[in-house]
Amino acid sequence: MKVLQPCAGLLTNHEVFQLLTDRGAMGAVDVSQGGMGPAAIECQVYRYLCAAPAATQTRAAVAACTEWAASFGLTRAETLQLVNLRPSQPVEAHLIISDCEMRLPGDRVEQLLQAVEETLPAAPEVEGTEEEAAAVEGG
Amino acid sequence: MFVLTEMEDDIRVAPHDLHRPHLTAVSSEIKAKYFDKVLRNVGLCVSLHDLQAVEGGFIFPSDPGPHFTVRFRLVVFSPFVGEVLVGRLVKCDATGLSVSLDFFSDIHIPHYNLQEPSVFDEEEKLWVWKFNDNDMFLDMDEMIRFKVVSVKYPPLPVEQEKGATAFATMEIVGDINGDGLGLLSWWS
Repeated sequence: MKVLQPCAGLLTNHEVFQLLTDRGAMGAVDVSQGGMGPAAIECQVYRYLCAAPAATQTRAAVAACTEWAASFGLTRAETLQLVNLRPSQPVEAHLIISDCEMRLPGDRVEQLLQAVEETLPAAPEVEGTEEEAAAVEGG
Repeated sequence: MFVLTEMEDDIRVAPHDLHRPHLTAVSSEIKAKYFDKVLRNVGLCVSLHDLQAVEGGFIFPSDPGPHFTVRFRLVVFSPFVGEVLVGRLVKCDATGLSVSLDFFSDIHIPHYNLQEPSVFDEEEKLWVWKFNDNDMFLDMDEMIRFKVVSVKYPPLPVEQEKGATAFATMEIVGDINGDGLGLLSWWS
């Protein structure tokens, strides 16, 4: 066993969600030995990501958001967290971006949040207000 | 949260799997060997991303299973230091909080990394953040946002006492002392 590259690339939660969907992780766990169905760990990660902003995102939305993040001068790690967490409040943006006041002065933070709001779909609601939120956001 | 890890390994396909296509048999061997296991200093293997190269298929004397040299990429849970994650609060005691992501539960937030000032309420057995004369309780099963301080891979213990909790191969230490951190309901 050889680890050739411990970090060959960063994955957004959406990419992992997509991969697990393709592997059938929304179905039952495949406990048979040597089976090709989803493993228990894949189903658990899928369940976790179902409640995350990643569940409603699309590749096009993530690409659009990444472009916007680049225009604001964010690093790769900050862009990744922006896509994964989909901040809606300035306090969340300050959490993700280091030296936020210096790099995004004035209302640049608001502009960034506006760009995130427009490019990424709303995160899935947890308490059964899903339909309401979808109707309000307009998809 | 997730990274791609490129691996190379010698995979033996069991004889009873020889009727299956090579790639399928090799993938299920990798699934049995790697999924839900921690690779030291890398992270927790979650899934197989793709197979990049499958070579060999040699059969060695007195071993009926063919051996393949496989290069593949795994999806690994490996948060970086400073990353912000959202988990569920599952345990509260005097040393701090235990947070769980559904698939990974060895996340500990020690008492000195809680919002200041926080006190441990002995009656309710919950931590409370005293913010401007308001008592903000850290209730169980609430979603909590925390920052990763360190990811540790403790060495295997040589001896364990009887009745000790199961050994954790990967431990994450978190921090909720900061604006935006703590219960999601505090900041929404």
